[in-house]
Amino acid sequence: MSTTVTLQSKVGVFAGAALLRLVLFAAFPSLPDLLTGRVEISTPVTSFKRLQEGLFLYNHNVSPYDGGVFHQAPLLLPLFSLLPDVKNWPIFTALLYILVDLLSAYALLVIADSGEAGQSKHFTSPRRAKRSSGLLVAAAFLFNPYTIASCIGRSTSAFTNCAILFAIAKALSGSPFNSMVAISFASYLSMYPILLLPPLVLLAYDRQSDKRRIDSAVQFSLRAILIAATCISLLLAMSFALTGNSWDFLARTYGIQLTLSDLTPTVGLWWYFFIEIFDSFRAFFLAVFWLHLVIYVGGLSIRLRTQPLAVLTILLGIFAVFKPYPSISDTSLFLAMLALYRHLYPIMRYTYVASATMLYATFLGPAFYHLWIYAGSGNANFFYAITLVWSLGQSLFVSDLTFAVLRDEWEVERPDMVGKEIRQI
Amino acid sequence: MPRLLSTALSLRRDPRLLKIPPYVSALCIVIGVVWLLLLPLDNYSRRTYVSENALLPGQVHTYFGGSEQHIFRAFRHEVDLLASKNNYEVNDKLETILTGFGVKVGRQNYTYHSAGETYSGENVYGILQAPRGDATEAIVLVAAWKSIDEQLNRNGVALVLTLARYFKRWSLWSKDIILLLPPDSTTGTQAWVDAYHDAHDSEHIAPLPLKSGALQGALAIDYPHEERYHELHIIYDGTNGQLPNLDLINSIVNIAGGQMGIETIVQQMTGHTDSYHDRLQTMLRGMLYQGLGYPTGPHSSFIPYHVDAVTLQPTGQGWHDEMAMGRVVEGSFRSLNNLLEHLHQSFFFYLLMQKNRFVSIGTYLPSAMLLAANFTIMAIFLWVKSGQPIEKGASDESKERNLLSPLALVATCHAISAIPLFVFNHLDIKTLPLAFEIFSTSSTALPAVFSLAIASLHKPSLQYFQLTKSFSLLILGVSLATLSTLNFSLAFLVGLLASPLTFLQPTNSRATRWVFVALLILTSPPVVISTAAWTSGLTMSGVLKAASLGWNVWGMYTPVVIWCVWWPAWLIGATNTLIPAFQM
Repeated sequence: MSTTVTLQSKVGVFAGAALLRLVLFAAFPSLPDLLTGRVEISTPVTSFKRLQEGLFLYNHNVSPYDGGVFHQAPLLLPLFSLLPDVKNWPIFTALLYILVDLLSAYALLVIADSGEAGQSKHFTSPRRAKRSSGLLVAAAFLFNPYTIASCIGRSTSAFTNCAILFAIAKALSGSPFNSMVAISFASYLSMYPILLLPPLVLLAYDRQSDKRRIDSAVQFSLRAILIAATCISLLLAMSFALTGNSWDFLARTYGIQLTLSDLTPTVGLWWYFFIEIFDSFRAFFLAVFWLHLVIYVGGLSIRLRTQPLAVLTILLGIFAVFKPYPSISDTSLFLAMLALYRHLYPIMRYTYVASATMLYATFLGPAFYHLWIYAGSGNANFFYAITLVWSLGQSLFVSDLTFAVLRDEWEVERPDMVGKEIRQI
Repeated sequence: MPRLLSTALSLRRDPRLLKIPPYVSALCIVIGVVWLLLLPLDNYSRRTYVSENALLPGQVHTYFGGSEQHIFRAFRHEVDLLASKNNYEVNDKLETILTGFGVKVGRQNYTYHSAGETYSGENVYGILQAPRGDATEAIVLVAAWKSIDEQLNRNGVALVLTLARYFKRWSLWSKDIILLLPPDSTTGTQAWVDAYHDAHDSEHIAPLPLKSGALQGALAIDYPHEERYHELHIIYDGTNGQLPNLDLINSIVNIAGGQMGIETIVQQMTGHTDSYHDRLQTMLRGMLYQGLGYPTGPHSSFIPYHVDAVTLQPTGQGWHDEMAMGRVVEGSFRSLNNLLEHLHQSFFFYLLMQKNRFVSIGTYLPSAMLLAANFTIMAIFLWVKSGQPIEKGASDESKERNLLSPLALVATCHAISAIPLFVFNHLDIKTLPLAFEIFSTSSTALPAVFSLAIASLHKPSLQYFQLTKSFSLLILGVSLATLSTLNFSLAFLVGLLASPLTFLQPTNSRATRWVFVALLILTSPPVVISTAAWTSGLTMSGVLKAASLGWNVWGMYTPVVIWCVWWPAWLIGATNTLIPAFQM
């Protein structure tokens, strides 16, 4: 009885989300293009508009990177050239994006139902009883306005997010091979997900199925890394063949992310900083910013060895704040993962303040961008100030979640301190 | 230091701390209002100054005059002959005149539909190519055939034609001069500016056959005044409360006052004595116009496109003649002609309280922000309270919050706010007053219905009330804070009118509840709108028609703020107050 009910409600949630998106696509034909143009949704490395440009050049047998605006992975091009022309038949592109969102939600459902958030191999949270159902997590992702906006805006980060979620879901369901393939796809598309490899390998190691068990951690990681490397090499080789036997695409896709040569505004912290900085310091600060992004991986994976899923969640939050070209799509991914930690909400301290901060930034960001670009009565500082507030809101969530995870662990060690005020020194 | 920290931490737990926020909220409102009232004082407002050096206002000798007066009379005669002709006949004649000077002429048809009425016409405009320019920049001179008060803009059109002939002979223009002669002061310029920037709806508005470069500024002449005039009224409010760069106003004040000896006034404040009272009145009038967001003249349509524009309107009984007006325009155009880049030096956000006194955004913004902050403070306070156990000494762990049903109520109220927005902008003028009456009645009844429905669905707890109010006030605070950066005055007015919502709460006392209900009805959006219309002597149908026109033609967003921000907040506040009493 209960299984049919949940199945029904699952179908209901997924169909509802798909219908909502379809209605938005169909009822407001100018909405997708409007959202595609928003800097909050489309970054230089995920913009659908830029993809169109690349696609046009590709279909006319010109190297897609010659236009200078397309910075996305080459394999997206054959995928999108299979679809009918988006100008005449926008519905097919819309269906593809809706499908990707639904797949992501399905992966989240699997992740939530695995119960890993509350109980991992080496750690069992005393609060795990109050976990959120998979359906609720999927619904929170599907009906999150940020997710909907990036779906309607057709940002290609939807594919990356889907691949990341599938990598996590597959690792949890004991198929390390599929997980590594998925994370290779994510890394191939956006590069930064490669940083998720260490915690993901740990997660896959912890959740191996008993049939094909590899006891040695070193051996397991080596095999996992080998699979990922092979898969990425294959993808790169295909891209090489696709772009006319040239390695140019590496510099034009990953190189852009590494050197931040496109300074289009985003919701992140990099663009303004690198506009302002003197050229002689540029290389140094690029290294510093990237080092800062990378440095969390090792520390968190070691400190939270017992909860690799928490490491992944926190890392996704950190990336959504500190990566070179973040968008609200990355935030939606982090918020979706955050929904898994419902049992920790009571010990999180700033949820309301952080949500209010993000709400403020969501409203003020477009207003200040309007003042800067259209009304001409503001300037870039207005928008940058709001992206700082936006990042502040997200980092409050990240640090609050980290605090809650650590406190949860600590209360297992020190049962006498449960519910007591603690002071950080 | 550690001791200080621990004191601070223990203070955080102090129950007395939770008593403070409502007082802080009240204080925010009081300070916000007092702040605004302090602005006209000498210590808080500043004298205006021209900050763009390239403008050099009043530094050139103007030559318009002498024999030009005969030409002006001749053109006025031509205009008189056209007074009874229709739009197309007028434009035929104007085209002939303009072509006669060697000016390239274009014409544009447009049609707008709003509230079941059609506004159509044909713009005629000429481009006077700059001898020293390369058609990358242009300044616009506008004279609508019908003035703002729907009179024949007799002197204005004649003056523009005279000036066109006069300007054509000068070799010093480095920017093209566009002469725009729309049939009316409201829709014509909007259609033209939209089409100039290719942002027009091509179904109803024709594209422009001729174009020049980027518009750098625009002056509109509204001159139906027959006798000699005393002062020049500068109208500067743009659509949605956007304002032109203060340098433009300063330059004109400077040229008219310093060079020509003509008094200038703003916001119809004749006989401004520079007293506190007059300054405050000027400022409040400015805020009212800005808050309404309704276009005030032919210049208003330019401002959203970042083209600084004002309308000049001679008024009063005096001794200045048309030639003086022409020289003011000439001087201003010479200043604009000097510009090396778009006006950007001076302020875009200001409140004028005299032609030469203003406050800038940094000084006045805090008052609106404080009003918005009062809602956010209360929202955070209610959130904290909703998580606390009701009886003292219960478990220390915070209470579980049930978020779903409060969120559902807030979402419902905001969703149904699309109904009045749609209805009032799409109905035609015959049904609008009736629709407003029906809406006002149902808006008053709706809170009672909602509260009964909620009470019957589930027994509302104190927490339910706290959470709904918290979410509603949070959204209101965020929206008003955002709005205050776009349209300060509107945010301030709505914030002030919505401020009772911070303090209303369910109560067991019957008398208090009636006081609350009375206060709620008095501050409900429909009642406020009707009262405002009644006190300013307008009919309700006139207001609704104007609002619909503003939305459909100029993209005025005031209705969105009223129906989708203020009204839902009021609805939730009223519903909460009417929920049958429960155990406090």
